Amino acid sequence: MTTYNQDLQGDKKLGFVLYLVGELVMFATLFATFFIFVQDAIDPTPTEVFEARTVIISSVFLLSSSGTIHFAEKAAEIQNRKGIAIWLAATVLLGLAFMGVEIHEFRTYYHEGFTLTQNIFLSSFYILVGLHAAHVLFGIGWMLLLAIQLNSIPSSIYGDKQKIFSYYWHFVDVIWIFIIVFVYAPYLI
Amino acid sequence: MIADLFGRKFYMASDTIGAWVMLTLTAILGIILITRAKKWPIIREYATTTHHRKIGVLYLLSATLFFMRAGIEALIIRIQLAFPDNNFWVFQGEKFNEAFTTHGTIMIFFVAMPLLIGLMNVAVPLQIGAQDMAFPYLNAVSFWLFLAGALLVNMSFFMTASPNAGWTLYAPLSTDTYTPSAGNDYYIFGIQVSGIGTILAAINMIVTIVRHRAPGMTLMKMPLFPWSTLITSFLILIAFPVLTIALYILMFDRFFGTSFFSGPEGDPIYWQHLFWIFGHPEVYIIILPAFGIFSDIISTFSKKRVFGYGSMVVALAIIGLLGFMVWVHHMFTVGLGALVNTFFAVTTMLIAVPTGIKIFNWLFTMRKGVIRFSTPMLFAAGFIPTFVMGGVTGVMLSAAAADLQYHDTYFVVAHFHYVIIGGTVLGAFAGIYYWFPKMFGITLNETLGKLHFWLFLIGFHITFFPQHFAGLNGMPRRVYTYTAEDNVFVFNFVSTLGAFLMGIGTAVFVWNIYKSFKKPQKAGDDPWNGRTLEWSVPSPAPEHPFENTPQVVSHDPVWEAKLHRDGELPKASESRTAPIDVVSWQPVMLGSLMLFFSLAFIYHVTWLQVTLGIAVLGFFVVRALTDEHTKKAKEDQAHDNV
Amino acid sequence: MKKLSFLFSCLVLFLSGCSMRVFNPISETARDQSFLILFSFFLMMIVLVVVFVMFARFMWKYRETEENKHTIPEDEEGNKAFELTWTILPIILLIVLAVPTVRMTYDMSAEVTSNPANAVHIEVTAQQFSWTFTYEGGVQTINNVTLPKDRPVVFHLNSKDVIHSFWIPRLGGKRDVMPGENRRLIVTPEETGTYQGKCAEFCGVDHAKMRFTTEVKSQQAYQQWLNEEKKEME
Repeated sequence: MTTYNQDLQGDKKLGFVLYLVGELVMFATLFATFFIFVQDAIDPTPTEVFEARTVIISSVFLLSSSGTIHFAEKAAEIQNRKGIAIWLAATVLLGLAFMGVEIHEFRTYYHEGFTLTQNIFLSSFYILVGLHAAHVLFGIGWMLLLAIQLNSIPSSIYGDKQKIFSYYWHFVDVIWIFIIVFVYAPYLI
Repeated sequence: MIADLFGRKFYMASDTIGAWVMLTLTAILGIILITRAKKWPIIREYATTTHHRKIGVLYLLSATLFFMRAGIEALIIRIQLAFPDNNFWVFQGEKFNEAFTTHGTIMIFFVAMPLLIGLMNVAVPLQIGAQDMAFPYLNAVSFWLFLAGALLVNMSFFMTASPNAGWTLYAPLSTDTYTPSAGNDYYIFGIQVSGIGTILAAINMIVTIVRHRAPGMTLMKMPLFPWSTLITSFLILIAFPVLTIALYILMFDRFFGTSFFSGPEGDPIYWQHLFWIFGHPEVYIIILPAFGIFSDIISTFSKKRVFGYGSMVVALAIIGLLGFMVWVHHMFTVGLGALVNTFFAVTTMLIAVPTGIKIFNWLFTMRKGVIRFSTPMLFAAGFIPTFVMGGVTGVMLSAAAADLQYHDTYFVVAHFHYVIIGGTVLGAFAGIYYWFPKMFGITLNETLGKLHFWLFLIGFHITFFPQHFAGLNGMPRRVYTYTAEDNVFVFNFVSTLGAFLMGIGTAVFVWNIYKSFKKPQKAGDDPWNGRTLEWSVPSPAPEHPFENTPQVVSHDPVWEAKLHRDGELPKASESRTAPIDVVSWQPVMLGSLMLFFSLAFIYHVTWLQVTLGIAVLGFFVVRALTDEHTKKAKEDQAHDNV
Repeated sequence: MKKLSFLFSCLVLFLSGCSMRVFNPISETARDQSFLILFSFFLMMIVLVVVFVMFARFMWKYRETEENKHTIPEDEEGNKAFELTWTILPIILLIVLAVPTVRMTYDMSAEVTSNPANAVHIEVTAQQFSWTFTYEGGVQTINNVTLPKDRPVVFHLNSKDVIHSFWIPRLGGKRDVMPGENRRLIVTPEETGTYQGKCAEFCGVDHAKMRFTTEVKSQQAYQQWLNEEKKEME
């Protein structure tokens, strides 16, 4: 046991949750923007743009990464460094796979002429989904940083750091679910 | 004069050249003075500190500097408007528009906000019995991000491109079609960077108040300044992200060719909604902490507890909630329809109820008390009638049909100066005089303080009272001139005179600070016969103020201890871990990085954007690898292994 | 007390009318607005006087003196009856204000009133920094609008660039002029004369100079003027 204190860790957790509340408001505003400008979208309409296949593949990657990070957390609780390493690696790979699919998706749209400035529906789509993608990318970087530290810092504090990260990662996942439900699904089903 | 930089041409008017000369001379003089007085270690100490009191002082110091800059702009505006068809210096058209835009922007974001956040930093941890803010390092980051943003907006003038679309930045005027110069880009990035700092500061405040209160201090035993800080912080946490996104979207419009707010598809009214969904809570963000300050001061100087404490807290909360439901009252003339307008008219009127409750509770705190008119109390006393006058014009403005006449006239200008100066600025002055001993261990001179108060308050009323009439006689705001037939000359002329009186008052304040440091009057731990915990620790507040964590058994614990325990606070049997203070250059480095990163965007220098972007990300890596918690845990572990 | 007498003199200034444009209405809309302003003002004066009197009294009566310097006032937590009073009374006062506000706001919203039958229609085009008025038959004037007395006028407001706001203080409250949207403002001028008109929404460099004059003529003179203008066009 170390003397590292639960008090300070509790502060951090609350602080980070509050930060995520702020992020939630930001995303909510971007969703509102999307709803407003998607209504009268023509040339192209969302139905003309979206493709179910890529959305489903990327969703599978990202949503399952919420599971792997959960297992990494479980491993951290019993201080199983090997388990942490495996599950963290899996999460990074899934995150990268998601990014790969998303970049592919954006590229396809771009080549079809559906660019950022084509119409406001596309603009609000890109700034919303793009900001989410930036969050995923940032999360991948964060995980690499965690991986570096895995063996060099006391395991209790590592566990706490990873816990904060998993809050972030779950949050990014929840936003993605909102994106599926509110951005893609209405025009794919 | 024309200069070439970043592939852009900079045309310099005489005012800009003058400002450059002044800036250079001041900088040289400053460096000489600091070197001669051998004060560099102090600069270094403050630049690397993470201690709440010092960060609070930094906030207050920068706010005072920006107050003077934006105040000089106000004087320039008033001189230009003193006579009909006046042509003062270069301040017609563009230059005038820039002056009122930066006046408003700086006063709201870089004066009102930091004055209050500074006072929160100084006082709130002490008032609740905390050793420091919950996240000292983050606190420093918040400040330096705030300062980076503030410097961006302030430097725009020196780069001959001030923001010029009003502080509300209404689209489509604020899009690159109508204002192509870099001015509004400075606004976007400046407010964005400082806004992030503000959000982080709010998170820090909430965690501090929720988790760092002394044992026994339940929420309902907490003084009202921390209470107002808590509610304000929640408002910041909800409102500022909306602004963040509004600016983010506007950035796409200005930089990347989208057209959210202009063009045939775009919707300029959507900008107004986003801006005011942030903007109206912002008004309460800058007034609620002042309410808290006044509550504590009025109670202390009347030697009585706050009247109706419970209803004061509830009123704060209701104002905070209603603050999110009134934004359309800034948009009555937009034509959103009778139903929307009446709904928002009624919610706006409702805000008068909790505000009225607070006013009467303050009055009844004084009733049957023993009122001592030291400078902080004078400001609090000046606040009540002034703020009520601003409040009643607020109710008048809420009557939507009548607002069609007031909207965008000097009547509105008068109204919001009555509430913002009457509330926030007087509150900040009161707070500075009140807590100055806790910051520096000395009191400000009382005679000069009283002179400051009277000059400022009388000057204030002379400035803004006539503006009601100018507005009713048809003078729109944001105009750089008017004609003799407009019949508003007298009002404007009187107003200009008053503005100079306020200027003199502010000069007395600055003189007072200088004088008080020159001939310091040592303050004891408890110069005002205080009631709350900050008066139980030494002045200035040390790094680890509460040697023994006090056990709080009542509201106003220090007062209670004076009455019943010979001034001894009961000691708590347990205490929580104190936050870890560090000395670090990292926060100030991050602030500078963000400043240059923003400049790279403003001037479209792609390679610099990429480089600095990577550097900012690199900062996270450095921080993660050097954080004080890990260090401490490692040390502890090494210790355990021995 | 000084402040009170100052306020009182301002009140006198108010009552004497002192030629404030907003208080010299020349249309029913402006008259209603002027009424609502004064009505809310007097309601609010009640609040103001109550607060000022209490404030002055408490300040004076309970100030620190040599005698009471060391007195410790009796502890007092609050008073439910008082607190209820200053919650309920303001609510009543606000209801009194809300009723005419709601009624007039509905009256003044052009969306709920259809165009009056014998109305004069004028297209108003705002652009940085001038106003163009187009009358029936294609007659155009710039920065000068001519209106007939006692006939409803429907202004169709449109902007070519940024947001402007159309305001003739004595004729009634303003209306924002949006790019790409058509807004209406309906008023009936009741007095002949020349009045000021302004842009009230900040719109760029020369916002201050974006003004126009409003001439209200008798119906006969208006028709005559219009006919002359038409002839000139041909």
